[in-house]
Amino acid sequence: MALPAIELKNVSVGFDGEIVLQNVSLTIHEGENFVLVGPSGQGKSVLLKLMAGLIEPLTGEVLIRGQNLKSLSREEKQKVVCKMGMLFQKNALFDSLSNAENIAFPLREVTSLSPDEIESTVDKFLEAVGIGHAKNLYPDEISGGMQKRLGIARALALNPEIIFYDDPTAGLDPITSRKIIELIIDLQQKNSSTVVAITNDMNRAYQMADRIGMVIDKGLILTGSVEETKHHQDARVHQFVRGDLEGPLMVMS
Amino acid sequence: MIGVLGSHLMSGGHHIKEFMGMLSHTLTSIFRPPIRIKETFQQLFFVANGSLVIVVFCVCFAAMVTILESSFHMKIVIQNDSMVPGFAAMLILRELGSVVTALLLTSRVGAGMSAEVGLMKITEQVDALKMLGIDPVQYLVVPRLFACIIGATILTIVADITCIYSAFVISEAYLGFTPALFLTAMRRFVDFQDLIFSMIKGAAFGSVIPLISCYYGFRCKPGAEGVGSATTNSVVASSVAIIVIDFILSYIFSHFY
Repeated sequence: MALPAIELKNVSVGFDGEIVLQNVSLTIHEGENFVLVGPSGQGKSVLLKLMAGLIEPLTGEVLIRGQNLKSLSREEKQKVVCKMGMLFQKNALFDSLSNAENIAFPLREVTSLSPDEIESTVDKFLEAVGIGHAKNLYPDEISGGMQKRLGIARALALNPEIIFYDDPTAGLDPITSRKIIELIIDLQQKNSSTVVAITNDMNRAYQMADRIGMVIDKGLILTGSVEETKHHQDARVHQFVRGDLEGPLMVMS
Repeated sequence: MIGVLGSHLMSGGHHIKEFMGMLSHTLTSIFRPPIRIKETFQQLFFVANGSLVIVVFCVCFAAMVTILESSFHMKIVIQNDSMVPGFAAMLILRELGSVVTALLLTSRVGAGMSAEVGLMKITEQVDALKMLGIDPVQYLVVPRLFACIIGATILTIVADITCIYSAFVISEAYLGFTPALFLTAMRRFVDFQDLIFSMIKGAAFGSVIPLISCYYGFRCKPGAEGVGSATTNSVVASSVAIIVIDFILSYIFSHFY
C-alpha cells in the first residue's frame, strides 16, 4: 500500500505559550487536491506551514511520505523539502531579483542545470503561467495577479511533488481568482502532484478540491468531499459555507 | 522588583541560548558548500566601499580632537606636550581606529542588515528560502559574516592610517611639531604589534556586527514597529558587545606589551 503524501498524527502547535492547533490528525493522499477552509485566524496557515516543515509541532508527528520531519537531519530534511513547493500568501518573491531571476534562483541553487538549461526552464515556466512578457521586470513592477503567477512558477520550478498554496486568490478580483485556480488545477493535472491549498472563497474551494478540511476552534472539524461539506450537519460548517452572520461562529466586525 | 529582574534574566538567558544556537549553525554552515563568493563580494562592497567615506571623515575628527585634548591636558598637568604624538598614536592604534570604525559600521551596516533580514522574515522570504531547499543562515549570515570580518579589518587599517595622518597634520599645524619630531615621539610609544592588535580587534568587531544584526533580523516581529525594534535592538546589542569585546581583547593584549 502506497504511503500517504502527508500524514499528521495528533499534532499540536503553539506560540508563546498559546495553543493554536490541538491534536490535529489528517491524511492527504498522493495526487489529491486538498483544500483547507475556515474563518480567519483559526490556524489554516499554521497548519499549512506545519505540513511544509516550516513550523515544528509541540507534540505529535508530521510525516511526509512516511518520513517524520522532526527525526530527519538538516540535510535529509532539505532533500524532503526540495520535493515540496509553496506559494505564500503574500507571494514572498525576492524583491531584489527580477521575475526571471526569481525562478532561476532555486534552479541555480539546488539543481546542476547549465546556465542555458536554466534560461530555457525559466522561459518555459514564465510562459506556462502567462507572464513571459514580464521576464525582465521586477516583482514590484507587476500586478498582484501577475505576482501570484510568478509565485506559482517559482513554487513549481523544482518540479515539486507536493505543492502548498496559501490563499492563492487573496486580494484578487473574481476573474483573476478563477484564472489562478484554473492554472493551479491545470498544472496539478499535468504534473500529477499533491496539492494542499487554503482559501476562504467556498466557490474556489469547490472548483479545485477533491476533499475539503475545515479548521475551526484549534482543530479540523471536517474532512470530506465537496458534497459532504455542502451537506454537513455541524452548525459551524453550515454557517461558514453559507456565509451566514447568525450562528455559533464569532463574526469579526 | 525581583519578579521583573527574574523575567529580564530569563529573557536574557533565552536570547543567549538562541544566539548561541544561531552562532553554532553559522559556524557549521561556513564549511558546507556552496561557498557564496559572489554574495560575499556584494556584501563586502556594501560594508567596505559604502562605509569608507563616513569612516575616514569621522576618524579624522576623532584624531584631531584626541591630539588637541591630549595636548591641552598634558600642558596643564605636566607642563609639557612633547609626548602627545606618541600618546595619540598609541590611543589611535589601540582603541580609536578599531572602535570608532566598528561603532560606525554598527549604525550603518548592522542596522541595514537587521532591517533587510527582518523584512525578509516578515514578508516570508526567509520561509521561501527554506522551501527552496536553501539554508537561510548559510545564504544570509555566512556571506555577511565574511564580508564584515574582511571589511572591518580593512576599514580599521584605513582608519588607523587616516587617524595618524590627521594627528600628524593637526600637530604640525597647531602644536608646532615637525614631521621628524612627530615620528620620533610616535615610535617611542607604538610598535608594529599595535597595528596587528588593531586589526585583530577590527576583525573581532566585524564578526559581531552581522551575527547580532541577523539574529535580531530573524526574530523580527511583523509590521513597521517590528522592523524598527529589531534594528534598534541590534544596534544597541552590537554596540554593547563591541565595548565588552574591546575590554576583553585589551586585557588579553596588555599581557603582550
